[in-house]
Amino acid sequence: MKTLRKRTTTGGQALWTWPPVAFVFVLVVVPLIFVALYSVGLRSNIPGTKTGFDLANWKDFLFGPTNPFRALFWHSMTITVVVSIAVTLAAYPLAYFLSFVARKNRYTLLLLVLAPFFTSFLLRVIAWQAILNENGVVNSFLMWTGLRAADDPVTWLIYSNFAVVLVLFYSWIPFVALPIFVVLENMDRRLLEASEDLGSSRLATFLRVTLPLSLPGVIAGFVFVLIPTTGEFITPLLVGGTDSQLFGNQIQSFFSVSPDWNYGSVLAMTLIIVVLILMLIFGRFLSADLRDTSTRSAR
Amino acid sequence: MTAINDLNRRQFLGGALGVAAGATALAACGSPDAPAPVPSGSASASAAPTASRIPISAESGKLSILEWAGYEAAGTKAQTAGLTEAGSAYTKEFGPDGLAYTYIENDEQALQKATSSADFDIMHPCGENVKDYVDRGLTQPWDLDLIPSAKYLAPGLMEQTTYNGAVYMLPWDWGYGSLTYRTDKIAAADATGWELAWNEKYAGHISLWSGAQTNFEIAAMKLGLPKPDDLTDAEIEMCKAELIKQKPLNKFYWDSEYGQMQPGIQSGTLWVAYSWQDTLVTMKAAKVPVAFMDPSQGRIAWFCGFMLGANTANYYHAHAYVESFLNKAACAQMTNAYAYGTANTQVTAADVTDKALAESLQISDLGALTSGKNHLQSYTANLDKITKAWQEVKAS
Repeated sequence: MKTLRKRTTTGGQALWTWPPVAFVFVLVVVPLIFVALYSVGLRSNIPGTKTGFDLANWKDFLFGPTNPFRALFWHSMTITVVVSIAVTLAAYPLAYFLSFVARKNRYTLLLLVLAPFFTSFLLRVIAWQAILNENGVVNSFLMWTGLRAADDPVTWLIYSNFAVVLVLFYSWIPFVALPIFVVLENMDRRLLEASEDLGSSRLATFLRVTLPLSLPGVIAGFVFVLIPTTGEFITPLLVGGTDSQLFGNQIQSFFSVSPDWNYGSVLAMTLIIVVLILMLIFGRFLSADLRDTSTRSAR
Repeated sequence: MTAINDLNRRQFLGGALGVAAGATALAACGSPDAPAPVPSGSASASAAPTASRIPISAESGKLSILEWAGYEAAGTKAQTAGLTEAGSAYTKEFGPDGLAYTYIENDEQALQKATSSADFDIMHPCGENVKDYVDRGLTQPWDLDLIPSAKYLAPGLMEQTTYNGAVYMLPWDWGYGSLTYRTDKIAAADATGWELAWNEKYAGHISLWSGAQTNFEIAAMKLGLPKPDDLTDAEIEMCKAELIKQKPLNKFYWDSEYGQMQPGIQSGTLWVAYSWQDTLVTMKAAKVPVAFMDPSQGRIAWFCGFMLGANTANYYHAHAYVESFLNKAACAQMTNAYAYGTANTQVTAADVTDKALAESLQISDLGALTSGKNHLQSYTANLDKITKAWQEVKAS
C-alpha cells in the first residue's frame, strides 16, 4: 500500500490533476462562493444597492411563520422522493427482464429503451404536451372511444402534479435501469444456481441472492434520479400548472424575474446543501456496497 | 477519499482560510454596486457630443437587442409575418446578420436581464420602468438630431421619458392589457370586470400573465384601490391575498404570448386570459370567437419604446436601427398588424385599414390611454416589494 501511495503522488503525475481541479474551482467553487455571498447580503445584483452582512433572508426562509418557500421546498422534496422511488421500482423489473429474460436480444432492447434519449430533452417534454393536452392524443382517444364527451376532456392530464410526476418518471427510467442492468449482468450466476441447488425457490433466490447483490445498482439508480430532480425546473415549467411548480422553478424565478438575487441565493444554497448531504449519505452507501462486492469477488 | 483523510487540521484550516480570503476578495471586487449610476435627476444626464464618437464606418454594426418576440426587424429570419416595414430600412442598408436578439417575457425579466446580462445596444422596455433603467445606469440619452422621426413622436409620451432635458426612451407602441375571453364559453353577464379572472365557474380555464407588477395592478383595480402603482404595504398584502385566492383557478401563468397563451385560447384550453389587443386580431383571423374585455374598473394601459444601452459601441447603428422603426410607414404597418397604437403622430385614423377595430380600440387616439377608467402603468417605487410578494403568490 505504501508503494502504491507513493506512486500516485509523484509530482509529475500530480500536475495532471491541476487542469480539472482548476476547472472545478473556477466553474463550481467560485460560483458557489458568489451565491453564498449573495445569500448573506454581501453582494447585490442591483447597482447602487448598499451591501453588508445580513442574515434576514435566511431567518425569514428558515423560521418565518407560514413562509411559502419553505412549504414549497417540502412539496418539492415529496415529489422528488415519490418520483425516485417509483422510477426505481419500475426500472428494476425492466433491468431484470433485459438481463435474465431477453438474453440474446438484451442489447437490442436496451438500445430501444435508450433510443428516445438520443433526441433533445426539451423536445421530449414538448412531445408530452402533445400527448396530454386537452386536445392531445389521450383525450382524442378517449373522445373517439366515447369514454369522454367531446366537450369534456380530462383536464388534470396536463398542467398538474400528475403530469410533472409522469414526465419525470419517463425521463429517468432508462438512467435508473442502466446501472441496475450493469450490476445484474456482472452478477456471478453460479450463486443463483447454488441457491437453487440448495433448495431455494425462485422467489427466495431472488430475495436472498439477486436483490442483495444488485443493491449497489439500485442505490446508484435511485441517486441518479434523486439528486437532479431536487433542482428540476424544466419539466414543471412546461407541463406543470400554477400549483405544481417545484423549488427549482422558484429559484429560477428569483434569478430571472425578481430583482432579489439575495433571496434566490438563500433558496439556491439550501438546495446545494441538501444535494451535498444526499451525496454524502448515498456516497457512503455506494462505496461500502461496492467494496463489499469487490471483496466477495476477490474471494 | 484518501486525499481528504490525509489532510490534517492545520492544512484544512489553512485551506478554509484561503477560501474565506478569496470569498472576501470576491465580495469586494467587481461588485455591481461599485459604479455610481446616473441618477435620473442628474445634471450629467445628457447626450455626449456626437463629434467625440467614433464614426459609423468604424463601428462593428453588431447590435445586441433586448426585445419582445414578434418585434424583430423586417428582413431578419425571426421576422416572418408580423412586422414587414419596421426595421426594413436598416436591414436593407446594413443587412440582417449583425442583429442579435435576446428575448423577454415580462417587464421584470426585461429589467433583470438588462441589469445582469451582457450590455445591450438597444432595449425595448415600457414606460413605467424608464426611471429604473436610468437609475441603474443601464441607458444613455438619445441624440434626437440623428433620428428624423423623433420630432413626430407624441409630446405627452416624450415628457414621461425625459429626465433633466435628455430623452432616454423613444416611445413607439402603446395599447391596453385586459382579459381576452372566448365568447362561446363565457357568459356575457360574467365578463364585466376583472373579477372574471376570479370566477370559480371557469376554474382551470383561466390564465393570467407572469408579470408581477401587472398582476398586482389587476388585483388592485379589482379591489378598487385608488393607486395601483403606488400601493402601501397593507395594500400589497391585500393584493397578494387576492392573487393567492385566484391562483388555483389558473391553468398556468403564461410566459409566452405566441407559445402558450394564444395557442391555449385557440385550442379551447383557455377561456379567459390576460392579453394585449393583438390577441384579438390574431384570434379573429383564426376565426376563434373572442372578445377583448372593457372592464368596469378600466383597462390597463401601457406604452413602450426604445432605450439606448449605456455602453453601446454602435451608437450610430443603434440610432439608424431605431429610426427604421419610428418612421411613419413602419409605425402604420405595426398598427395594422398588431392593432397597437403608435407614438408617431403622423399616423392617423386614415392609415388604419380595419376602421371598426380602430374605432373599438381607439388606436388612433393617444388620449385613450388615460381616458375613462383606464389605468396607465407608471413608475412603481416599491417594485422590489411587489416582485417579492409575487414570488410568494407563486410559491403559495
